[in-house]
Amino acid sequence: MSQGDVLLDVQGLKMYFPITEGILIQHHIGDVKAVDDISFTVRRGETLGLVGESGCGKSTTGRAVLQLYRPTAGHVYFDGVDLTTLKGEELRRMRRRMQMIFQDPYASLNPRMTVGDIVGEPLEVHGIAKGKEKLDRVAELLEVVGLNPYFVTRYPHEFSGGQRQRIGIARALAVNPEFIVCDEPISALDVSIQAQVINLLEDLQAQFGLTYLFIAHDLSVVRHISDRVAVMYLGKIVELADRNELYENPLHPYTQALLSAVPIPDPEIEAQRQRIILKGDVPSPVNPPSGCRFHTRCPVVIDVCKEVEPEFKDAGGGHYVACHLVH
Amino acid sequence: MPTPEQLAIDRRAPLRVSVWQVRWRRFTDFTRRYARNRMAVIGLLIVLTWVVVGLFAPWIAPYGYDKTNYNAANQPPSFAHPLGTDALGRDQFSRMIWAARTALIVAPTATVVGVVLGVFFGLLAGYFGGWIDEIVMRLSDVLFAFPGLLFALLLAATLQPRLAAWLSQFERIKPWVRAGYVEFFVVVIALSLVGWPGLARLVRGQVLSLREQQFVEAARALGVSPWRIMWQHIFPNALPPVIVALSMSMGSAVVAEASLSFLGIGITPPTPSWGAMIYNEFASWRSPSAPWLLWAPGLAVAALTFAFNFIGDGLNEALNPQDRLT
Repeated sequence: MSQGDVLLDVQGLKMYFPITEGILIQHHIGDVKAVDDISFTVRRGETLGLVGESGCGKSTTGRAVLQLYRPTAGHVYFDGVDLTTLKGEELRRMRRRMQMIFQDPYASLNPRMTVGDIVGEPLEVHGIAKGKEKLDRVAELLEVVGLNPYFVTRYPHEFSGGQRQRIGIARALAVNPEFIVCDEPISALDVSIQAQVINLLEDLQAQFGLTYLFIAHDLSVVRHISDRVAVMYLGKIVELADRNELYENPLHPYTQALLSAVPIPDPEIEAQRQRIILKGDVPSPVNPPSGCRFHTRCPVVIDVCKEVEPEFKDAGGGHYVACHLVH
Repeated sequence: MPTPEQLAIDRRAPLRVSVWQVRWRRFTDFTRRYARNRMAVIGLLIVLTWVVVGLFAPWIAPYGYDKTNYNAANQPPSFAHPLGTDALGRDQFSRMIWAARTALIVAPTATVVGVVLGVFFGLLAGYFGGWIDEIVMRLSDVLFAFPGLLFALLLAATLQPRLAAWLSQFERIKPWVRAGYVEFFVVVIALSLVGWPGLARLVRGQVLSLREQQFVEAARALGVSPWRIMWQHIFPNALPPVIVALSMSMGSAVVAEASLSFLGIGITPPTPSWGAMIYNEFASWRSPSAPWLLWAPGLAVAALTFAFNFIGDGLNEALNPQDRLT
């Protein structure tokens, strides 16, 4: 995989969801700070894995990057164009270059459209192909993702989860995008099917030179597919490094705790493995802790963590981390 | 789910899928699913029968609807007059047949106008929200505050004479006014104005839940325009309840038209209407009484209403692919 220039540059992205009170007059009483000031880049042709536990803002980040949610603050440069400044028709045309694969293959396909209509729709709305030409292209796409082209006249409910996910992938590929946000594309699938879909995504990347932002909570899958990995905790990226560097030399205590939870398929090693068990629950994103957001649960917390927010910076060799113990 | 062997066989076959093949398969699927519901088929047959009767009324009816014969007034049923005659000697059987026209013109037009208005405003209000939603919903609240039939009555009673008077100025239109077309128009307007707020609410509710669905988000991510999302993604999914409501209101529009005519506000004689026929029998102190004059139009209204409701149920099942058996 070529590690070329930067395709996606996210700077200071914030996504707050307002909480309001009152019936007629809405009072703004706070925000859910789902994503709070994160920055990262994705290079052309690479896969950036985004991991973290449920509710840490991974999916929100993916959606805010694609402008499905309009970010509260920050910039998203896609191939040099700031997506946050685009509106309406301009943004719609830009969507031809960036697509999304959704987590739930049951909810993300319109139950009243045939597979042919679902996969063909992006071709139509972007004026790429119509009529017979469209059907040919749809058949071709179905074959690319390993589905029988004769399925075009069927409805989504006639398929299994894995097949539906393939339909979703074919739909995302229809417009020949450069960048795809994969929002936990395998979480809803059986383990036996997960490998198939992962392999399909890898094959497609090699074939079409795709760039992925791969959101997942399965650390082994992320390790398998990603070139670089970012770890999120409570709306912040706490660590970002090359895959091998991150898995072999995790610097942030949260990353260490996460990785220690991955089981090893060898009973002898597994018996001796040291696990770091975090105490307590993830704090509310409405009112996050002061200083370092992880200080309430950190096993190696020091005084400065409670007061000062650690800076997210390079600890050498492109290994970014936000921790006072490192810097 | 096909087995791997079946897939392999399919793959070897040459790929030829035309747009028309897709459409034809959809249509045959739809008719097959509809035909599975026996009551729906019966309902369709009843409606079709009335449509044919209405269309061919001049040929089927033995007499004209306004043909009077004072020598044969107030007659009981006979071979010459299967349902007897009224005080003016008009053949009631013929009037029943002609009245099918009235019912089948007024009820579907009123319903369709109401549904089109309701769907349009409901979609707008639900999808765009904000001030559009406020205006549409407050307007529908105001219309909702009136009891339906009373409001239709008020509208028809105030609108009809004024409109007729105004239109009578124009020499060209005058014969049409005389022929009673204004009454039809006014009844349709009144019934559809009463009907749309309910539908708008129904559609809006559907849209509010559908617009949060992931496939709508997926469509936005694909770059589908808001207008297309509304019509291609949200509207078809909001359709089943709308279709049920359409058939129900088709049925209730038949009843409403009959009620207005019964009260003397809607379609007035000599144009025949089942409601007016019931009123006629009610108002005349006929001795001995002629119960068939109540029963016949009453049953006709009931049959048509039931038929529309059965059709609605059948359509709902046929249009819902989730219920489809493989």
